[in-house]
Amino acid sequence: MQAQSSLKEMDLECRGVTKTFGDFTAVEDISFAIPRGSFFSILGPSGCGKTTLLRMLAGFQSPDSGDILIKGRSVLNTPPNRRPVNMVFQHLALFPNMTVAENVAYGLKRRNVDKHEIKTRVADMLSRVGLPDAGGKQVSQLSGGQKQRIAIARCLVLNPDVLLLDEPLGALDLKLREQMKVELKQLQEKFAATFIYITHDQSEALVMSDQVAVMNHGRFEQVGTPQALYYEPATRFVAGFVGESNRWQASISARDERGFRLQTEAGLSMQADREIGDKSASQNDWGVGKSLELFLRPESISVAPGHQALGTENAYQGHVESVLFDGARSQLLVRIEGALDLLNVSLPQTAEFRSIRKGDSVSVGWSSAQVQCYEV
Amino acid sequence: MSAVTGLSFRDSGKLGLLLLISPLLLWLSLFILLPHVDLVMISLRERVAAREYAFSWSNYTAFFTEPLYWRTFMRTAVMSILATALTLLIAFPVAFYIAKMVRGRFKALLFVLCLIPFWVSELVRTYGWMILLRETGIFSGLLQWLGWVDQPVEMLYNDVAIMVGLVYTSMLFMVVPLVTTLEGLDDSLIEAAYDLGGSHFRVIWDVVIPHAMPGIVSGCIVVFMLTLGNYLTPTLLGGKDSLWFTEQIYTQFITRFNWEQGSAFGMLLLILSSFIVWAGLKLSRQSFTRVMT
Amino acid sequence: MIPSIPSSRYFRGIYATYVVLFFVYLILPLAVVAVFSFNDSLFPSLPWNGGTLDWFLGESEPRLGIFHDDELLGSIGVSFWVALGVTLLSLSLATCNAFLFERHDFAGKGFLYMLMLTPLVIPGVILGVSILIFSSSIANGLEDNYGLEIEWLRPGLPLVILGQFAFITTIATLVISARLRRFDHSLEEAALNLGASRLAVVRTITLPYLRPAIIGAGIVTFLMSFENFNTTLMLVGSDAPLTIAMFDRLREGSTPVLNAVSVLLMVGSAILGLISLFVQKPRDE
Repeated sequence: MQAQSSLKEMDLECRGVTKTFGDFTAVEDISFAIPRGSFFSILGPSGCGKTTLLRMLAGFQSPDSGDILIKGRSVLNTPPNRRPVNMVFQHLALFPNMTVAENVAYGLKRRNVDKHEIKTRVADMLSRVGLPDAGGKQVSQLSGGQKQRIAIARCLVLNPDVLLLDEPLGALDLKLREQMKVELKQLQEKFAATFIYITHDQSEALVMSDQVAVMNHGRFEQVGTPQALYYEPATRFVAGFVGESNRWQASISARDERGFRLQTEAGLSMQADREIGDKSASQNDWGVGKSLELFLRPESISVAPGHQALGTENAYQGHVESVLFDGARSQLLVRIEGALDLLNVSLPQTAEFRSIRKGDSVSVGWSSAQVQCYEV
Repeated sequence: MSAVTGLSFRDSGKLGLLLLISPLLLWLSLFILLPHVDLVMISLRERVAAREYAFSWSNYTAFFTEPLYWRTFMRTAVMSILATALTLLIAFPVAFYIAKMVRGRFKALLFVLCLIPFWVSELVRTYGWMILLRETGIFSGLLQWLGWVDQPVEMLYNDVAIMVGLVYTSMLFMVVPLVTTLEGLDDSLIEAAYDLGGSHFRVIWDVVIPHAMPGIVSGCIVVFMLTLGNYLTPTLLGGKDSLWFTEQIYTQFITRFNWEQGSAFGMLLLILSSFIVWAGLKLSRQSFTRVMT
Repeated sequence: MIPSIPSSRYFRGIYATYVVLFFVYLILPLAVVAVFSFNDSLFPSLPWNGGTLDWFLGESEPRLGIFHDDELLGSIGVSFWVALGVTLLSLSLATCNAFLFERHDFAGKGFLYMLMLTPLVIPGVILGVSILIFSSSIANGLEDNYGLEIEWLRPGLPLVILGQFAFITTIATLVISARLRRFDHSLEEAALNLGASRLAVVRTITLPYLRPAIIGAGIVTFLMSFENFNTTLMLVGSDAPLTIAMFDRLREGSTPVLNAVSVLLMVGSAILGLISLFVQKPRDE
């Protein structure tokens, strides 16, 4: 985790938070702190406990043990309607019986804010989210993206210390989701508010966040910047969950001070550097015969047509099994001679690959520093 | 995840539960349970002197020894079952037509058209049938005008008239549950069954009817109950000799002021209706709670 | 079969004819009642003697119209007050019941729910007599032991109201529960999250959401009470609600003034029914 800065600048802090439902541990001993004005994402598969964690922050559930602090003060005994956090719900939960303006004004009314002030603050908020004329509309008249913005405006008008977002983009179609990602990030920067965003979509987390926590089985596997998660996954789960990878089951056939010689079950032999991959185990203890799982990103594989020397520690000959064309994300499925399984290779966007076909022979290779090794 | 959603607001404390449950318990015990317990107790006693009562089965033995009583009872049961079956037979094609054959506004219109007669009092509906069926009524006049008969015909005061009225009065309670369940049947299931080689009859038998079963059962239960407990229609359309069991109950309570006998009759009717509802649920393998909601 | 599956024109023709006949069967009795309210005859039957409005407006016997028939007008008033009472009682309890069954878990919930449904399968006459004897038992007990004479426990309008309330509540509960069940729980959480107190949540979010169901249930309740006969018959005292008054007249044989009352009833219930359809129509879902 990042070096802890002084407590005062932390908008939200969790200390050893645990929550169980019967025999099931939904959230286990989670601690983290989020500095003011940052965009923090919790990324994990469904059922990993992220919703429970968020609901504890909002006050809809209380932890069995541990403490939750907002601006340095424990909020465990504060009911949800008095916590200085607001939440954007998964399906937004805009009130269908009210107009857009009434939705935005709802929280202010509950605080008995003066009528005129409510009016100006609502109008101001609506124009800040780019919907100055939407006030009189019914919620059902709004488009998906507009509803999204109103749901956020309804919270931000209350100046919350922390804004919680529970997979709010999940219901949108792909195009709109891409657009809303950018918009959400811009909103967060504009308001300089602290956002906690939970999602199972890694792309949402990577694009928007300053910090991402990857969560699995109720625990944080790794907390770090999107780059750190992608390039230096600390655990096998993170390596598998974030980004695409080729995966192999392998064992160590030889070792020296630079690295390991590995033999995959599919019959591939390759060289890997030390200290790449697993941060949770001491790689010095790994001896010959140790079982490992290897991860290799498709874009870190070099590829060339025909027989060519690639100059990488690991180099092979193979032929194209199929071409998966998808614009900039196109891939080749390559069968390495003598090995059983297929290799995913990013297709370089260069002229020499324009006419590549199924059955063409190719040279593939990757450096030993690209192979991420993890204990099984 | 969704399993844990909303726990905190739901268990908003024992006090809330207590506040909500006490009116329910009061209602159920004061208006449903205790009155029926009282009904049982009164049916099991006999007046031995003024204001003095003793335990006795005599009200029930009277039922079995007096042929008029149990014949009326059996007749009511059989005719109610018949009326239920007829209502189902007549309503099913109509419900299917509304649910599956027509769409949009026309469908809504037909459905509302089905409902309208039943927003009007049963008394008015029965009155309409009286005007149609009586000797000086519309049908009699029509037949004379057509020259098919040469003098007025009395069509009231017989079993057919009772049956027509009972079926008419129950129709809504059959059509609505049928339309609701049939609307839930995906058209593509029917198409698939037909595509796989089913004849019209087989498709209806194998796909449509099993799907509509909850609606059929709930419709039948409600119709049967209403018919069995009907008083107006048999009395008005069947006249003096309609021999409906509810009339016996009314007579014992109001005319003869023999509450003990009336209570026994009430219990017998309740037992009969509960038994038939139970049997219907068992035969169709439906649960009471599911069918009723 | 459904339109997408081919069937012969002959079959379609017969099917459509059947449905048309069915609707004729539905409308016929009501149409006849309505038409004969305008017949210029002392009896609601053939022959047709030409039109008249006497059965609505007639001022003296034997052609006393409904607007001057004090007995019938009085019974309409009685029915109105009874229905209003039943509606208020039933709606309050039904709303409580809906919240109880949809929002709480407790031991014996399934059993209580089943018990709540039983009034649907108790014949109205029996419900009526059981309440009659129970209230009489209590009244007799109080009179014998304490010398108290409690008038409203004897047959009369209070008992009619309670008797109808006993089973109509179940129907109102079902209507309101059905809507509450479809309520998106996160709306309440969102309101809470925006700083509303529990009471404010119910007032500003939940009840407005339930409003169409409550109005709809209210209309159904009102109509059911207004038209109830079986239970009322057993509990009625000297003041007759409309259905009882009409029944007595019917048995005696009456002038077409009954047709005129029926027309008013039809118009009234049609208006209420249409309002309930309109109110319950989902607008924003």
